[in-house]
Amino acid sequence: MNGFPWLALTVLAPLVAGVALLAVPAQSRGTVRVVSVFSTLVSLVASVKVALAYDLAAGGVQLRESLPLLPSVGIGWELGVDGWGVTLLLLTAITIFAGACATWTLEDRDKDFYILLLVLVAGVFGVFVSLDLFLFFLFYEIAVLPMYLLIAIWGSSKEVKRLGPFAFLWDRLDVGGREYAAMKLTLMLLIGSAAILVGMFAMVQGSGSSSFNMLEIAERGVPESVQLWVFPALWLGFGTLAGVFPFHTWSPDGHASAPTAVSMLHAGVLMKLGAFGVMRVGMVLCPEATVTWAPLVGAVAVINVVYGALGAASQSDLKYIVAYSSVSHMGVVMLGAATLTPEGWNGAVYQMFAHGLMTGLLFALVGLIYGRAHDREIFGMGGFAKVMPGVAVFFTLAGLSSLGMPGFAGFIAEFQVFMGALAAGHWVWALAGIVGAWITAVYVLRATRAIFWGEGPPARFHELSDAKGVEWVALVVLGTCLLVFGLWPRLLLDYIDVGTLQHLAAFGGAS
Amino acid sequence: MSYAILAIVVPAASFLVLALVWPLRHTGRPAAWLSTAAALVSLACAVLALGEAPAMGAPPELLTWPWLVRGGEVIADVGFRLDGVSAPMLVVVTFVAACVQVYSLGYMAEEPPAALGRYYTWHSLFIVAMGGLVIAPNLLQLVAGWELVGLCSYLLIGFYWRKPSAGKAAVKAVWVTRFADIGLMLGLVLLYVQTGGFSWEAQAATSAVAAFLFLGVMGKSAQVPLHVWLPDAMEGPTPVSALLHAATMVAAGVFLVVRCWPLFEHADTLLLAMSWIGAITALVAAVTATVQTDIKKILAYSTCSQLGYMVAGLGSGEMLGGYFHLTTHAFFKALLFLGAGSVIHAVHSNELGDMGGLGRKTRTTMVLFGIGTFALAGLPGLSGFFSKDLLLEQVAHAGQYGPLAILLFVAGLTPFYMMRAWCLAFLGEPSPKAAHAHESPAVMLAPMAALAVLAVGLGYAGGPFGAMVGEPYTFHLTPVGIIATVVGLSGLGLGYAKYGLGKLQGLEVPALAAVVRAAPVDTFWAQAWSRGLLPFAKAIGWFDRYVVDALVNLTGWVAIVAAERARTIQTGRARDYLYAVALGAVVVAAAGTIGGISS
Repeated sequence: MNGFPWLALTVLAPLVAGVALLAVPAQSRGTVRVVSVFSTLVSLVASVKVALAYDLAAGGVQLRESLPLLPSVGIGWELGVDGWGVTLLLLTAITIFAGACATWTLEDRDKDFYILLLVLVAGVFGVFVSLDLFLFFLFYEIAVLPMYLLIAIWGSSKEVKRLGPFAFLWDRLDVGGREYAAMKLTLMLLIGSAAILVGMFAMVQGSGSSSFNMLEIAERGVPESVQLWVFPALWLGFGTLAGVFPFHTWSPDGHASAPTAVSMLHAGVLMKLGAFGVMRVGMVLCPEATVTWAPLVGAVAVINVVYGALGAASQSDLKYIVAYSSVSHMGVVMLGAATLTPEGWNGAVYQMFAHGLMTGLLFALVGLIYGRAHDREIFGMGGFAKVMPGVAVFFTLAGLSSLGMPGFAGFIAEFQVFMGALAAGHWVWALAGIVGAWITAVYVLRATRAIFWGEGPPARFHELSDAKGVEWVALVVLGTCLLVFGLWPRLLLDYIDVGTLQHLAAFGGAS
Repeated sequence: MSYAILAIVVPAASFLVLALVWPLRHTGRPAAWLSTAAALVSLACAVLALGEAPAMGAPPELLTWPWLVRGGEVIADVGFRLDGVSAPMLVVVTFVAACVQVYSLGYMAEEPPAALGRYYTWHSLFIVAMGGLVIAPNLLQLVAGWELVGLCSYLLIGFYWRKPSAGKAAVKAVWVTRFADIGLMLGLVLLYVQTGGFSWEAQAATSAVAAFLFLGVMGKSAQVPLHVWLPDAMEGPTPVSALLHAATMVAAGVFLVVRCWPLFEHADTLLLAMSWIGAITALVAAVTATVQTDIKKILAYSTCSQLGYMVAGLGSGEMLGGYFHLTTHAFFKALLFLGAGSVIHAVHSNELGDMGGLGRKTRTTMVLFGIGTFALAGLPGLSGFFSKDLLLEQVAHAGQYGPLAILLFVAGLTPFYMMRAWCLAFLGEPSPKAAHAHESPAVMLAPMAALAVLAVGLGYAGGPFGAMVGEPYTFHLTPVGIIATVVGLSGLGLGYAKYGLGKLQGLEVPALAAVVRAAPVDTFWAQAWSRGLLPFAKAIGWFDRYVVDALVNLTGWVAIVAAERARTIQTGRARDYLYAVALGAVVVAAAGTIGGISS
């Protein structure tokens, strides 16, 4: 609690900017953009500062800020970061900065869009630094709810064929429409939130803690009988946001319908809130129950990895491919988490980071392609590298990280998860993860070839051009980070490892 | 040691400059010169490094940095390890790479500047990736380099990316090799779990590690049935085929076994399986090569066949023969590919039917290609003779007579198909296309000559090579060697008689050609994709949309319908609400009465 409140600055900069934008007239587009991008830049700088200020040798929770809000019920502005928090703070800051840049060319109600985006991201920052469970939940909801408006207003729709045993539902629900996608996403996540809320209160009550502070709850310990039902509630509640099978179907429709920056942020960062919640709240506060439930968590993660990858391989719509690949890659996070090994947890958190950057980049590129070609059907494309070479290069970079090419961040993450899986004695988990990476190579390279290689582009894509202006910033920032953190993993891994050591202590030390 | 580092850092610098400074890259020729200069410096450094490298058995020179941590402890390093295994391979890689880059200055001269710059950027990256693989201090870095050379292969096969067949071949190469890498990755992870690190010298590792690793080797080094990507990879520019798909990258699998020899040498069952797999690969590929009409395809199948030779040689339980054959093969096969490139450059076609009679126009190429052919054929005195002899002797010594018999047969088949290619290309009547052929420029012939020198002379370096690798070797003629030589010379003779002199026209196996054209293994994999994985993925996609997601929709629908039903309670008529109030009053009163009685 000494020194400058860098955490508060990180969280509040976008929030303040969002509020300030209310006073800016919608016509002054330049001001709206500059204020928004600047505020995300402030958060980025502040989060880098947090990383530098964090003392790796000491470990634990640092940079504490505390301010009682409702002392009578034990709710307070309790901020602090551990090694995981530092990592995810950086991820969020990088992704939102890139996202704000990628939205530069938006023209429809852009001020409203930026305001919602900034409020949303303040929520995300808040989750990663909150020590108070109530505050955590508050920020979590702030992060989730603006999504409804962002997708319903700025999203796009897709024709869905009426098929299958439940085809009669299609018309009634307007399946494929952007309002449908927004509604589905929001409702599914809210049901998850309900489960989280119940679990949260049960943990505070059960542990006999005087406050909502996670550190205090952890210290007092939640009784095992309570843990045993709270953990699944938290797993499914947070897990819905992490795309855990079978509660993942909001993701393909939601991400496909969402506008560029929203897909970037949602797949890039929000899904990590879910996984972070499962690990930081669910596993760390309910260690005994986690040991009991881990085999199921891992088994479902295996389904996620393989099923998501096959789902992506079955698609020919570019956004759906990327969305299903997120389901698959988030499965890798959950797989690493379920191993309960240091390698697996390091890998899981690294994968949150790597996947966030990678999918953020992919959605930015998909947005660029869609914005120019007005088409997402990959097998109608071809030869795009001729007219958008820069986009082709960055798409290839993101794809390589996605399929686990050494030298990219994705490899570091996945590899550690495989190590953790086998170290925990789970052959099937390790094999599923590795096979999933192979299927990823199959669909990523297939899509890359269909879009960028070959003769063409066909005559109807006459408006194609490469990325320009500020759009490059988003691509270069994300692409560079993928390579830097892939070649020099210790930049990040040292932080993650400290966090893992600290949290695994709840399981009786490193297993 | 510092030379070994420079051998990798210099091309790395060249790659970074070319990748980041796109105006330079787009100028084409200056970019090519930069990369080529870097490759030549790299070669010089590698040669100097070979001079100061400690032989196997002596402590290796190490320089490492911690790379991965776990629980506060370092579990993996990256860096450099110079020893008797890595130093010779580094020279092989940089020598062939430098030759190919110089050669490409001529061969690729007509490419547009931007494409040329891209070509050389990937070439610089390749030296870094392959060098990183060779010089790796542990298996993790080796695998990282392994994947990166795979990436280079993808990018360079797909160099003519506007051509659909090139794109297909590039993707196929990655699909197949990475499929095999599932095994490699499992082996790597298992090594970590069993030993707590990634060292191939760890005692605690079981032979399961080696078995998994070998699955990866089968993909990269194109062993049957995972060889199907290699012939397609010939879609890349011919110098690329020489460097990646003949001399170095495809040999990475063999190199992995040599490098991780402590893991393999006691895995007896695996070694026996390797002998058989290698021998079968050698046979199948050699047979296939005899009926090809595309000169690059002949060489591709020949590479595949020779890789089978090396794997079978390692299966004998002694690694020197396989490793020695790897090094000699790298030079004469690169020479053959560059020779083929020179021919293709002259007639603008890969088909033997478009060649013929080129000897009169391209005499130097004919001679150099001939040297490569004889070296590959195992003509006594040339490099291929010595390495093949040693390899076969080791297989015989291990008592693996089944694989040995197959390998001996292949020793006759190899000269036969090579002689066929040489005769059809350079002798006989010129085809219309060959009429305007011209000899290649000196910038292409000089690197071929350099390779030819080693293709001839490297066999005599067997002694020092063996000392370096830690397995003493002196040449002595054995019965197996004599048989192989006789068989080889007969193959040469038959080939010359049939294709050079036009005799022996009865020597045809039509059924064989039909089988080869039907490409059963290739068809199998194509079917596995189009009838297996793809429909399965489609089924999953359907299931997700129309079952899993539909259940979500059903939940929403039930909620809506239930709400609509429940809404009818709110009729809006005062009478209905009065009834409800009255009913409620009765219930409350009744409850009160019952409660009063019971209390």
